[in-house]
Amino acid sequence: MIKKIFIQNYKIFNRFDLDLHNDLNILVGDNEVGKSTILEAVNLALTKRLNGKFIEYELTPYLFNKQCANDYLQSIKRGEPKPLPEIIIELYLEDNSELESLKGSMNTKKENCIGIKLEIVFDESYKEDYEDLIKKTDDITLIPAEYYKIQWFGFDNNPINIRSLPLRLSYIDATTIRLQSGTDYYLQDIIKTDLDAKERVALSVAYRKLKEIFSQQESIKEINKNLTTKKGAITDKDLSISIDISQKSNWETNLIPHLDDLPFQLIGDGEQNALKIMLALERKAVKSNIILIEEPENHLSFSSMNTLITKIREKCEGKQIIISTHSTYVLNKLGLENLILLYNNKTTTLKNLPNDTQKYFKILPGYDTLRLVLAKKAILVEGPSDELVVQKAYKTKHDKLPIDNGVDTISVRGLSFTRFLDIAKELEKDVVVVTDNDGDYENIDKKYKPYTDSSDKIKICRSNNNSAPTLEPQLTACNKLEVLNKILDKSFQDEESVRDYMKKNKTECALKIFETEESIIFPDYIEDAIR
Amino acid sequence: MKKQKVLVTTYTNENLDQIKAFFVEKTGCVPANITVQSWFSFLLQEGVRPYQNHMTERGRIGSIFFIENAKDSHKLRNKLRYIAESDDGHYLTKKNYIYDDKVSKFICKCNEQSKGLVIKRLENIYSSIFIDELQDFAGYDLDLLEVLFNSKINIAAVGDPRQATYSTNKASKNKQYSRSNIFSWLKEVESKNEIIIEEQNESQRCNQYICDFADKLFPDLPPTVSKNKCLTGHDGIFYLQNNEVNDYISTYNNPVILRYSIKTNTLGFPAINIGVSKGRTYERVLIFPTQPMLEYLKTGDPSKAGDRSKLYVAVTRAKYSAAFVVDDKSLTKSNFSTI
Repeated sequence: MIKKIFIQNYKIFNRFDLDLHNDLNILVGDNEVGKSTILEAVNLALTKRLNGKFIEYELTPYLFNKQCANDYLQSIKRGEPKPLPEIIIELYLEDNSELESLKGSMNTKKENCIGIKLEIVFDESYKEDYEDLIKKTDDITLIPAEYYKIQWFGFDNNPINIRSLPLRLSYIDATTIRLQSGTDYYLQDIIKTDLDAKERVALSVAYRKLKEIFSQQESIKEINKNLTTKKGAITDKDLSISIDISQKSNWETNLIPHLDDLPFQLIGDGEQNALKIMLALERKAVKSNIILIEEPENHLSFSSMNTLITKIREKCEGKQIIISTHSTYVLNKLGLENLILLYNNKTTTLKNLPNDTQKYFKILPGYDTLRLVLAKKAILVEGPSDELVVQKAYKTKHDKLPIDNGVDTISVRGLSFTRFLDIAKELEKDVVVVTDNDGDYENIDKKYKPYTDSSDKIKICRSNNNSAPTLEPQLTACNKLEVLNKILDKSFQDEESVRDYMKKNKTECALKIFETEESIIFPDYIEDAIR
Repeated sequence: MKKQKVLVTTYTNENLDQIKAFFVEKTGCVPANITVQSWFSFLLQEGVRPYQNHMTERGRIGSIFFIENAKDSHKLRNKLRYIAESDDGHYLTKKNYIYDDKVSKFICKCNEQSKGLVIKRLENIYSSIFIDELQDFAGYDLDLLEVLFNSKINIAAVGDPRQATYSTNKASKNKQYSRSNIFSWLKEVESKNEIIIEEQNESQRCNQYICDFADKLFPDLPPTVSKNKCLTGHDGIFYLQNNEVNDYISTYNNPVILRYSIKTNTLGFPAINIGVSKGRTYERVLIFPTQPMLEYLKTGDPSKAGDRSKLYVAVTRAKYSAAFVVDDKSLTKSNFSTI
């Protein structure tokens, strides 16, 4: 099992550390924060493959972190060349007697640990060529990846023979279904490792026989006879067709799994994924079984996703699963305690939050937490009526609902703003709290001071008018009686009775306000929140 | 029960191949839990690299630099004498290769620096280590062996001090124990209760004539008792003249021809270097001796035999007979004469 991942200069990550749980890990974060890159990096370090091909063939300047690439290129321009940046991916593994030969201190942390590292480094044998190149500084606009080599070592600094290691990796990427000729690589691997030696031999023999029978067919013989007459134009050799029986082509590349008699490629994307995930989960247990799943919710109907997630939960025992997701549903179903939040090259888990906040979210693992995590910006309000009014105010001002701009309005139950602010602080999220002043705005300010002091992204909006302690008196204070009567379809005689009515029918009134065509004035603290 | 992991190691590649061949013959392949690896490859892979950053800031140590192969090996050896231990140039070339005579030293120091991590890791990998041709070990290898003797790993080492034809390195450390003197080192280690020495003075291969002849090269060591009682009618040590070689070869069914080196004149007959023949068994051998060997044959004085281990190895390859081509009337009174 992987204890820890370190990534340096790879894609979005400059220097990045991630601690993993032993069983289930759910990576959650905005788009472009590098969820997929983490899975890709783990796969790369364990298989030396990127996009299903060996990294040697996929080595491009774009693998390098932009910032480190720019630093380097700038230094060349200035004529003070810095050393070429290096990509390092390190996987720190749990102690395991079968992997002992991978133990050593040859990692960036100098830790005595079992591990695997993949490094993309300058190949010294190109030293002269490279020195020539940097003399002509104008020529370099990209990292010269052609001068790099791949090093794939254990933490003992010896080359890796991954086949001999009791480690299994399944990488299921639902965002892009990759199918090369025949069965795709991962599927092949899964099927192959699930068959025992006898079955594999039987399959190979049967496949070979099939090829022989093909060439014995009368029609094929006839065709080949005809083809033989075609020689002469280019070559004098006999031309014929046959199935490739060389070592290169074996059953794995030519046989295709069928599901209900449908070839695998013709099955819907979602089902293909689900099948791959299921196969990976059903694999024979080896000591270390690592499963990477990218956005399992993709291409799946809600009900199939539900089945799939249930399956993941049931089967994950003894396996380490790293899952990336955008779906609140997946997260909620798999458990908040496994959550790893990704944000700005940083990560946090619930462990980093204060103890009582952790407890709160474990007892009440609503979707709301994840809404906060996934939103670009969030407005926290006290209840459904505040939520409606704030949304209305936002729509009036911006002509769009807040959610259309990536701003999520979250109604926080039981006034647990501070719980959410603990997460917001940790994630450096833009969060606005819209709160009643409860007749003492200074007290409110005092309550939130620890948050506003430690983060300039947290903003508290409350009215400084202590005589209007909640939303309803605030609304009656800034709107004329006839406007409110019109909106509520009532005919109250004074401000006090409309206020009492609104207090008693909060949600109903808020809904009317939300739906009205009348122009209504919002209290300053709400205007401030939606700016 | 989990199979225990075992390492079998030795210094020369020839011997390594023979060990592998032995496993292939007995079981079809080298079993998965047994690693057969040369001593230097083992040192580099499992000793030097895993914790090298406790000794040097430099990158991965690529390989071993054999000083003997350097252009001016003598000069280099002298130069290295003046580089302090604290400087990693003491151990490493500019290209990050480690000097052959410093490999074991590096590992011993690295183990100290890392508070025993090198040995601890080995203990977790291997339950037993078998070392063949112990007499080849020299310099800091002996220090490292002592550390291994004191580890949790079971160590079994076999060797014949009379067959010290090679040396893993030429470090000045422990020079007094080099070659056939390794026996006195073993005695010292035994006196510290770190090992038990078992002497085996029996030969399964050679008949008693050959054993007796070979023993005379090392009068200080205990005599050998032959377990090969099989007689063929042509048994023991023989001397030939150049013009008898052809006949002899056809009469005795192509004995294996042994020479000191490629420079030896073998009258055009295809031959094997004595060093390469180490560890092998032949029915009969035909030896082209060096000048000092010839001197020994005449005088019986071991101090005149030159590289007496080489002579010892050559003779003791044979089960039944060893013949010397001497072309010297004083030794060859009659055809194919025995002593």
